[in-house]
Amino acid sequence: MSSSSSRGAARRLLALALAGPVLALSACGLGGPPAADPAETGGGGTHLTVWFPGTNATEIELVTETIVPRFEAETGATVDVTFLDWPDMSTKLNAAYVAGTAPDVFGHGPAAVADFVANERLTDLGPFLEQLDPADREDMAAALPGGQVEGTQYLMPLSLQASLLVYDADAFTEAGLDPDQPPATWVEAKEVARELTERDGDRITRAGLLLPSHPIGLQQSFATLLYAAGGSQISPDGTRATFASPEGTQVLDYITDAYSGEQAVAGSLGHDLSTLPPAQQPLVTGDAAMMIATAPQVQQMMSADPDLDLRVAPAMSFDGSTPPAAFGGAGPGLMINADSPEQELAWEFISYLVSPEVSVEYTEGIGAIPMRASAADSAYVSESPVLQAFLAAAPDMVPNPNVAGWVQVRDTMAQHLEQAANRKLPAEEALSQAAAEVDDVLARAR
Amino acid sequence: MSTLEQTAVRAPAAPTPGTAEPRRRRRLRPTQWIGVLFVLPATLYVVVYQLVPVVYGLVLSFTEYSPLSRSGPEWVGVANYLALVGDDDFARALAVTGQYVLMVLPPTVAIALGLAMLANRPFRGIGVFRSALYVPHIVSLTTVAVVWLWMYSPNGLFNEALTGLGLPPQSWLLEEDTAMPAVAAMRVWKALGSNMVLLLAGLQSIPRELYEAASTDGAGAWRRFRHITLPGLRPILTYVVAMDIIYLAQGFAELFILTGGGPLASTTTVNYLIYTEAFQYNSFGSASAMAFVLFAFIAAFSFLSIRGIAGRRS
Repeated sequence: MSSSSSRGAARRLLALALAGPVLALSACGLGGPPAADPAETGGGGTHLTVWFPGTNATEIELVTETIVPRFEAETGATVDVTFLDWPDMSTKLNAAYVAGTAPDVFGHGPAAVADFVANERLTDLGPFLEQLDPADREDMAAALPGGQVEGTQYLMPLSLQASLLVYDADAFTEAGLDPDQPPATWVEAKEVARELTERDGDRITRAGLLLPSHPIGLQQSFATLLYAAGGSQISPDGTRATFASPEGTQVLDYITDAYSGEQAVAGSLGHDLSTLPPAQQPLVTGDAAMMIATAPQVQQMMSADPDLDLRVAPAMSFDGSTPPAAFGGAGPGLMINADSPEQELAWEFISYLVSPEVSVEYTEGIGAIPMRASAADSAYVSESPVLQAFLAAAPDMVPNPNVAGWVQVRDTMAQHLEQAANRKLPAEEALSQAAAEVDDVLARAR
Repeated sequence: MSTLEQTAVRAPAAPTPGTAEPRRRRRLRPTQWIGVLFVLPATLYVVVYQLVPVVYGLVLSFTEYSPLSRSGPEWVGVANYLALVGDDDFARALAVTGQYVLMVLPPTVAIALGLAMLANRPFRGIGVFRSALYVPHIVSLTTVAVVWLWMYSPNGLFNEALTGLGLPPQSWLLEEDTAMPAVAAMRVWKALGSNMVLLLAGLQSIPRELYEAASTDGAGAWRRFRHITLPGLRPILTYVVAMDIIYLAQGFAELFILTGGGPLASTTTVNYLIYTEAFQYNSFGSASAMAFVLFAFIAAFSFLSIRGIAGRRS
């Protein structure tokens, strides 16, 4: 072989080696592909990719081994399901959108919806919903608003989630209280909590009332009490903060006093109870007599200690002067990627998951509150006083607002609420500062 | 011939401006092309996965960019950097990052040096001793943080020990005053093994004759340490301190798991803030600007520490 021909071969090899990465890089568009034209994305699709949030083993088994195979058998389509860890969900979705490889259907919490909508990444589910029987839509009425942004449905919730007061009936009895008469208001709950609180010197050994107090939990506790006091977090048009109000100050003082001062009813401010295993939950270990908890948490605690007599109080007013309210509404749900060429099949998959029988089967599998009112008649709900109590509170549930920039709004609120709860700032000042920053965030997100 | 003369003879003549011959293009031989091909995969790896992202990150820092946006990055000039100047959260995160480095670095280096000197002596079981000290380094930081999270929990090992001693339990990770020291203690434990091994290698490179000569001259333990060990360790000590500064200033995983940046943002480092800005708020532009400001700080402090320890001549 001559030296010139070998040089030519070597150069061709080098060019080929360089071409691969260069082409791969140039394929990485920054803005992703344009939205699919709905006119070109009719039915007839046969393959669907779906990303579910969370890595709950029971949910994975139920979805991949029961629900999806049945759907595939009924429709003849194939469905690739991937479960992603919650903390990775946004990161991976962002990367997939940039690369143009986002799934046809994906799940997320309601807090994420508005940002996707602001970037035109989601399909409006309204036209699909209109095809349903009105009675069917009414059956899902408690869940649907949580998946709407400015009145348009983008997320189809798979369950309801709510935080209600849960108490240990035995602790009530030991303290001379009637466990069949739970507190009717949050003010009354604090009074009962004082009777239930146990101390060793200055240290609280059993909390009378535990409110979630890690940063995100603190925002949720604040929202729970604020709604119960008749307040709101954001204006109806989503443009400004409304929590810096007399109601806001009142409930923030309530939270602060629950954790410090002579009348404190709880310790360990900031402790994230949501990450504790069921057997280590304070109601199970006897470290608390009352706490705010979700339906899955209560059921898991009762499974961890079957002798525990846990009961759920109905949605409450703050002091009796306003209607009762509970923080909650739509739980995580599914959305359709606006760029998906499989719009019809994607909706078919979602509507299958929220159909009455499958919906109950799914929520039973993960211990969640069914998103349909008719689920009250199912064995899953009718045999569980806990679920009945949560489902009964559905009409009083008020969700977080679905506005663009909500995650940053929530974190900003949490940061200032934490300042007040630690007595670094008076409640009124903390809320004023938070409101000013939240207004900025909302303005930037619009 | 003197050394100076030899140098003068062997030194190539400097080209005279204007009279130099045109430089001939050097052609690679076929065997050299094969060498290039062998180097190419590693070069491509470095360029594609390290250099391109860094340059792209720098470009992004001058833009406003959400990965969800269809329009791509929008050029905003130095606005992201200017915004950082008046950003209280960023200033606080910088201070917290500095506090974290200062809390971990001195005890880590001091204890690692002590352990290295201990492990440098011959005694039975020295291999087990060295291995045991190195184990924390080979366990992932995330795993270590999860184990320490349990130890710091209300019913964890530390509080059980306190209760056993008749002392009240502590909210280690929930109090503003104790959260950062608690994380720092974990990080010191984690970093000891690798630092000790490096310093041990440094100790073993110091000639024994120096110690013998110093002992013969009547130097005590402290004088031998001060005048032989420390100067002998200077190169490796410089490396250890510089690398520790670089790693610690980028602290994230342990803080994410142990404290989530709280309480009251007392453990929110710059890297934690970058994560929040980029992946929670989708603001890749401002997150990239933060990353390059952090890079500048790390580079400056690393340079200063190298100058401080190794000296100007090094």
